[in-house]
Amino acid sequence: MLRAANLSKRYRQGTALVTALEGFSYDFPPGATAVVGPSGSGKTTLLNLLAGFDLPSEGEVELGGARLDRLGEDERAGVRLNHAGFVFQSWNLLPTLTALENVAFPLLLAGVSPQERRARALGLLEQVGLAARADHRPNQLSGGEQQRVAIARALALEPAVLFADEPTGNLDSASGHRVLDLLLEHAVGERRLVLVTHDLEIAARAERVLHLRDGRLIKVEEAAAV
Amino acid sequence: MELLLLVWRNLTARLTRSLFTWLGIAVATASMVLFLSFGEGLRQALTAEMGNFGPQIRVVAEGTDAFSPPLPELPPEMLDQIKALAPDLGILKVIPAVVMFRGGFDPATSFLFYGLPEGSDPRDFYPPAQVAAGRLDPWPDGAVVGAKKAELSRLDVGRPLRLSRDVTVKVVGVLEPASSMVDNFIFVPLKTLQRVLGTENYGVFLLLLDPNADVDEVARKLEAAVPGIDAQSTTEALKFAERALRIGDLIRFGISLVALIVGGLLVANTVMMSVFERTREFGVMRAIGARRRFIFGLVLSEALFLSLAGGLAGVLAGVAGSAVINLYTQQAVGLALSAVTPRLALFSMAIALVLGLSAGLLPARSASRIPVTEALGRI
Repeated sequence: MLRAANLSKRYRQGTALVTALEGFSYDFPPGATAVVGPSGSGKTTLLNLLAGFDLPSEGEVELGGARLDRLGEDERAGVRLNHAGFVFQSWNLLPTLTALENVAFPLLLAGVSPQERRARALGLLEQVGLAARADHRPNQLSGGEQQRVAIARALALEPAVLFADEPTGNLDSASGHRVLDLLLEHAVGERRLVLVTHDLEIAARAERVLHLRDGRLIKVEEAAAV
Repeated sequence: MELLLLVWRNLTARLTRSLFTWLGIAVATASMVLFLSFGEGLRQALTAEMGNFGPQIRVVAEGTDAFSPPLPELPPEMLDQIKALAPDLGILKVIPAVVMFRGGFDPATSFLFYGLPEGSDPRDFYPPAQVAAGRLDPWPDGAVVGAKKAELSRLDVGRPLRLSRDVTVKVVGVLEPASSMVDNFIFVPLKTLQRVLGTENYGVFLLLLDPNADVDEVARKLEAAVPGIDAQSTTEALKFAERALRIGDLIRFGISLVALIVGGLLVANTVMMSVFERTREFGVMRAIGARRRFIFGLVLSEALFLSLAGGLAGVLAGVAGSAVINLYTQQAVGLALSAVTPRLALFSMAIALVLGLSAGLLPARSASRIPVTEALGRI
């Protein structure tokens, strides 16, 4: 499960106190939820808090049954490893590792045996259509291929929640659609996809859209109404 | 894909920088190994030397250290005194001798003369001694020359050897090479050397003991009975040498520490730069779920790997360098003066390990403490 209650984040910038997010409450249902809003609306801050990258100034975040706002850095990393997957806009992959090794990385952290890591990573690369590129390094892959490897890696430990931050931002439209399809394919059953984007066309593919403005949740649209 | 593979990939991704750092550590370690190999070589040579040294006790005038050529300060009465005590103390033979050193630091032009009494030959001093040419006994007016000395100064049998303006002896024997200090000695009759020095005194009494006698006990009793002497046993001489060698080791280690610190700073710099360059990479790892200690271990392992690989190369280079030095010292004085012993190799590796740990700690700490949002540029 993924739930936020009265979530706020304030930063100190010099002498001024900047509010990046204010009073955000939402219980993310299974399926795909897009978060949209103009630049500076608090999308990135929200994702940082939902994923436990950062701690809220106030409020609660619950991910996979753990209260992230009450945990230390390492405990939050543990929750992420077991319950969440990530796909960022760019710079997703570890440059010194091959596609296969990148996909296997979360499995290494989770203590999976080398043979099983390899088998599972290969299977995941097959799912995203990149088995043939398993031994390529990130700099030998196109942007779209890199994002697909990142998706395979994000799915490695079958997380309950997949976070994607502008995952198609750097891609041409064909690659972008393929990446989006892969992400949406995952958001079935009890699984959740949180898709942060400024592109309303992409957001329209989600089952619901959260609109942020000036750090506040101003509107929640369900699929039928999008 | 184990941690080691990650470490290897990260280091090889910046190959030139890693290679230079590795080389820096290797040179620093090699210089330390070489510096300290002299102490080890001397230790080995001395232990072997003392093991082959015939007399168990060396009596010299009080205040003479164990390894300096003693001055002729022991009067003939003292010899009588010691001879009188000999049967009670289990002393089988008392060999009065005189030692004279001529020349400087160049082994080819320095001469160490040992004046031995009639009826005594180099075997009393060094039992394994064997003659290669001529005879062993320098009496009445000959000289028996060690192998290396004979080679360096071209002292073949029959060649005259001038000891002073009016004393010249003839080489009557050349010893077989023994890889010992004896290779550099010239044995002459005691009376001849006393004439050269213009004295009736002796420089040293070499004592051969009953095998059942307690050497240190005899030395103590002698010193108590005969005032003004130092009775030095072989073990005591070794202890003295060990003290001197340790001081030498410390000085040499101190000098090589400078190189080591520079090497350590190289590693710290390489790893720190690599940490700065990989901030995002660490951010991605943390985002995926890597704990701080994983990042810490990864970065520390890189520093350790560099240091240990450099240390290993340094030890190997040290072994090669030591062999080259020994080629020279064997040629010059007939002794291997440098040795890379297992304990020196282990010590060097341990130093490299400590170096890696200290150089890697700060970068590892920095890498593991970068906030995820900052590392990913998500602020």
